[in-house]
Amino acid sequence: MENNFAANAENVEAGAAVAEAALPQPKQKKPINQQKLQDNLWGWIFCIPLIVGTVWFVYICLVAALLLSFTDYTIYGAGDSMFEYLAQMGQHLAPDPETGAINAFGWYKYAFTHEVTIGTDLYINEMGAYLFNTVFYMIGIPIGMVLAMFFAVCMTRDIPGANVFRVLYYFPSVASTVSIVYTFKLMFSPSGVINQLFGLDGAEGGSPFTWLSLTGNNSLTWNGLTGSASQSAFMNAPYWCQGIFSKLVIIIMSVWKGLGGTVILYIAGLSGVNAATKEAAQIDGANGWQIFWKVTMPDLYPTIFYNIVTAVIGGMQIYMEPVLLLGENVITSGYVSLIYTYGVKGYAGESPTPSQGAAYGMILAVMIVILTLFQFWLDSKNKD
Amino acid sequence: MSDEIMNNTVPEEEKQYSPLRRAWGAFLAFFGISSATHTASKKRQKLVGDIVCYIVLFIGAFLMIYPFWWMIAGSFADTSAQGQKEAILNALVWWPTRSTVTEGYEYGLFRNYDIFFNDAFDGLSSGFTFWKALLNNLVYSIVPVVVGVITSASAAFSFAKIEWIGRDIVFFLLLAAIMVPGPAITTAQYSMYQSMGWITVGNYSWGDFSLVLIVPGLFGSIMTAFFIRQFLFGLPTSIIEAAKIDGAGYFRIFTGFIMPLAIPAIMAQGLLSFMGCWNNYMGSYLMVPQQSFAISLPHALARLDENGAGPYATDYAVVIAGSVVCVLPVMILFACFQKTIISSLMLTGSKE
Repeated sequence: MENNFAANAENVEAGAAVAEAALPQPKQKKPINQQKLQDNLWGWIFCIPLIVGTVWFVYICLVAALLLSFTDYTIYGAGDSMFEYLAQMGQHLAPDPETGAINAFGWYKYAFTHEVTIGTDLYINEMGAYLFNTVFYMIGIPIGMVLAMFFAVCMTRDIPGANVFRVLYYFPSVASTVSIVYTFKLMFSPSGVINQLFGLDGAEGGSPFTWLSLTGNNSLTWNGLTGSASQSAFMNAPYWCQGIFSKLVIIIMSVWKGLGGTVILYIAGLSGVNAATKEAAQIDGANGWQIFWKVTMPDLYPTIFYNIVTAVIGGMQIYMEPVLLLGENVITSGYVSLIYTYGVKGYAGESPTPSQGAAYGMILAVMIVILTLFQFWLDSKNKD
Repeated sequence: MSDEIMNNTVPEEEKQYSPLRRAWGAFLAFFGISSATHTASKKRQKLVGDIVCYIVLFIGAFLMIYPFWWMIAGSFADTSAQGQKEAILNALVWWPTRSTVTEGYEYGLFRNYDIFFNDAFDGLSSGFTFWKALLNNLVYSIVPVVVGVITSASAAFSFAKIEWIGRDIVFFLLLAAIMVPGPAITTAQYSMYQSMGWITVGNYSWGDFSLVLIVPGLFGSIMTAFFIRQFLFGLPTSIIEAAKIDGAGYFRIFTGFIMPLAIPAIMAQGLLSFMGCWNNYMGSYLMVPQQSFAISLPHALARLDENGAGPYATDYAVVIAGSVVCVLPVMILFACFQKTIISSLMLTGSKE
């Protein structure tokens, strides 16, 4: 032991001597090191709030959500905090939906097997139904993109006042969704503006057309949140055509609200299109239509692709519009309302089960990742 | 035929058109469309194209603006009598048939606004007023945005202009965090806030604020940081070098050089996040108890209707007046700063 210590001390002394010998001007090295130190120190200090926030509110929550989805955590009555609960998660695994025995994948099994009624002798997988609604609302994405392209091309013409239109078109995007929903609710009511415009308000006899109904011409009586399901409230029709006009209103509303942002995106893309190529094509005798498809569109491709990817990710998370317009129900609500209903608000007046919501959330995350990867795969195939 | 081609002449017959066809060609040329008989002038083509564009854009602008006009007109409707909602508000096209102008209320035209400001929120939980909801909304949208933009800007500065160990790894980790969809982790966040005691708020007084809607925003947002970083790349590094040689520390450089120079980017991002926070319904709906005094303005507004079960689901003009109050501040803010906001949107290509 003593020998070792002695040997170490000798080595250190020798090392120091070598270092001193090798560096005849230690004064010059010191400032450089200090600069590096300063760089590292201040780099971390400036960045630390954002890192702490991201780790705390995204990464810890992501891990917690993944772990929660295998357990049976209920906020009220659990007694201890989420982290203490997760520390002993081995004792609190989720129940199996059929047998009630312990099954870590119980909530996932529930999500994939649970069925709800949508009429007399009509049953549908609950998650599948909500997922269908979400995908149905995505019809609005291509419609919005074509309309936005149309308006963007008009606005990039050399005309005075184009900037004013840009501002006007962006107004719906800054407005509060709650206000917009209440306005649309009344505009699409049976005797509202839209029905008057198309002569559907029953002024010339006959009953007015009902847009915002889940049940044909009856008013909405069934509500997923209160759980007061009466079978007579449904149309006894195939699932996809129940409440289809309500869905149409939601698509119209989301296209209307999102148009301005897409228009601005396309204007930015269009102003980046190479003007020299355009002029060359014009001199070679191409008409406006050919220039648009052969010159402008290929240059715009990155913008369009980015827009599709973000629109699909956003579209998977639709929640507010259908729920504010029609309440929480299996006919119109998007997938995310499963997470919020089961996990945060509590299904049919029961206490919320965040574990179940977390399981739905994990399924959503996986679906979004797969959809995004699929789009990038299509993109890479397109380029070949 | 072959002779004509060899001599490079045009055959005579092809110029023979019927008078009807020639008239049609002239008609088309008047509207800027070239055909075999007539060639439209470039000037006429441009003029006609511009007129068509204006018509299309005006129709579009009308569709974009009309619901807002409807909202304003609806806020002056008088639906106080039972069952008047259907008769008056639903049938509204340009101006309500029974408006508050003609009915002789104390506040005349602004009867619905008067009720919304003074009485409406009392029906949600007693003692709650519009002014408390407005204060909540201002606190929720000013405090996190101002602090958050500064923290984001500092992170952006360190990413753009300082070399430090682990920078690329940290940057990648932050980039990956954007990919996590918000709703997927909401329940875990809710449980965490519940464990930390942030969900339960106050004792029904003016001091009630939800920490959930304030604290996460203080740490800055990744998208904001990325945008400002992109902006800072455009600034010359030589300024920083010069400041360093003159003996300024990094903190001094940040407050003295970077913040003033990046003001356009910081302003644009701050305004966009302000508008997002002002309209934040989801955060309040999920994370703040319904009965509390800490709910945000859009949430309080939504509770007036509550899918037809709220206290003002019949006297609906009050809800519409509330919608106008909710929309107007952001609209005015956007109209004032539209140049900054739109140019920043065009620069980033982000829609929020």
